[in-house]
Amino acid sequence: MSGEALRSVDLRKVYTSRGAPAVEALSGVSMEVHRGERVALLGRNGAGKTTFLKIASTLLRPSSGSVEVFGFDIARSPEKARPYIAVVPQEGKPFFHLSPREQIYTYLRARGFSRETAKARTEDALQRMGLTDFADRLSVTLSGGQRQRTMVATVIATEAPLLFLDEPTIGMDPFARREVWASLRSLTQKGSTILLTTHYLDEAEVLSNRLYIIERGAVLVSGTSDDLKRSVGGTLKVLLPEGAAHVDRFRSFGTCVLDGSALTVIVSPSGLGELMELAVRSQLTATVGPVTLEEAFLRAVGRKIDED
Amino acid sequence: MRTEVTLPPSRPFAGTAAFLWTEVIVQSNERMAMVTSMIVPGVILVFVEILNPALISVALVGAILFSTFTMGQRVLNEAAYLRIDHKANDLYLAGPMTPEAYFLGMSFGIMIVYLAPTIFLGILAAIVVPLTLATALLLFVLAAVVWVFAASTGYVFSTFFRDNRAIWAYSSLFFNVFGVLAPVFYPLGLFPAALRPIVLLMPPSAAAALVQAAIGATTLSPGQVALAVGGLAVETVLLFAFAIYWARRTVRAD
Repeated sequence: MSGEALRSVDLRKVYTSRGAPAVEALSGVSMEVHRGERVALLGRNGAGKTTFLKIASTLLRPSSGSVEVFGFDIARSPEKARPYIAVVPQEGKPFFHLSPREQIYTYLRARGFSRETAKARTEDALQRMGLTDFADRLSVTLSGGQRQRTMVATVIATEAPLLFLDEPTIGMDPFARREVWASLRSLTQKGSTILLTTHYLDEAEVLSNRLYIIERGAVLVSGTSDDLKRSVGGTLKVLLPEGAAHVDRFRSFGTCVLDGSALTVIVSPSGLGELMELAVRSQLTATVGPVTLEEAFLRAVGRKIDED
Repeated sequence: MRTEVTLPPSRPFAGTAAFLWTEVIVQSNERMAMVTSMIVPGVILVFVEILNPALISVALVGAILFSTFTMGQRVLNEAAYLRIDHKANDLYLAGPMTPEAYFLGMSFGIMIVYLAPTIFLGILAAIVVPLTLATALLLFVLAAVVWVFAASTGYVFSTFFRDNRAIWAYSSLFFNVFGVLAPVFYPLGLFPAALRPIVLLMPPSAAAALVQAAIGATTLSPGQVALAVGGLAVETVLLFAFAIYWARRTVRAD
């Protein structure tokens, strides 16, 4: 068994269908996810995140390249890799004619857990995900967010060594999202590894140890969220609402972004003092804040789009 | 950190019983669907009783075989619905549960729940049809064979669709042509002689013809018996084996 929970090398996937041009969804993705890590896959719609997750979770054949899950090649011996994994599928739904309690319990039993373990983990998962009040209602009567919580509860109750979560908190309210985050952190503390996709950049930032941005089927950037922020020229942003006319005086401090009459300068902490002095001398009001992962993401992906 | 855990690879059929039980609960919570499964055979039995009561024994035998045959339609609809709408395949099969367990668990679960209407028809048949122990046993075995054929067909067909709406038309066409139009509810002798070899190769009508012959409602030549028995056996075994293979093959999409 290798030291990584997951390792992909030059993974490619080309979708072909009769009468339609071939679509290259992945064009050589290599990545490693270490045991106990929480790693986020970010990217625009159609970037290839779900395709990667489906291949890694043994549900889709790759065109070429390899993926190993705990050292098992998923193309050659998927049956050896499968006991190690659990998946929250994108747009998955619980059985409408099961209650959340039945859904989680029967799923655990289908995965081979004993009655006692399945029962204990079911109650734990219901409590963690705030589902106890609806635990015995048929899922058909639950809201979309409650159903999604049921799906996540079903999968986290497995405490599988490697969990694939495709947009796990979609449709959830902010309280429920935080319950999911807490549960996922708790799982990795116990030793599970998590690979998730999300369009909520705040979620990726607070939850993941590392992240990969995928754009047009390839890894564009990888590292921590701080690495990504630094890659755009600094971790702080200074907003000058009337600074656009003075842009030339601020270019030396870092990346300048114009938006109407406003100017935003991305700056490192070491350059902040000098920049603020210049703003005062220029009689400009300035607001300082941290660069968000969303801004870094938009710049990284936007730059790639511009280059292409 | 978790200590090193080495998990065994999935065993064949692992999870069958648990998924069977899941389906039993799911289907049991849809009581109206169970009631509607009686509509077609019920209506046909009423028509036969009104139009030609002499054929009610044959129609009752047909209704029993039809009810096990349409369990395959339930498998088709359920398998496609869970895969397309709920992504249940992704949830269950990316894990230690095997694809054959998923197929068999679903098929047996549906069968158990929908057995109630079949048992009701069986009780009626025991009262109305001149069944000996041997013919009753024959009917039981053939109904089981038809169920295996239908469940296998239903599961395999379910994998070809990407949209549930497209299934309804094909599903209805398939199960009505094989189960209603073919001589299942009426004697083989009323079917055009030239086309009889064809319907003797269709499992529901082949099974019906064999039971009809056993209760004296139809006369079959030795060749026809051989065709019906051979066809039923070969088609059912091959299709069941293919369904297991196909369930494993389609875990991973291309």
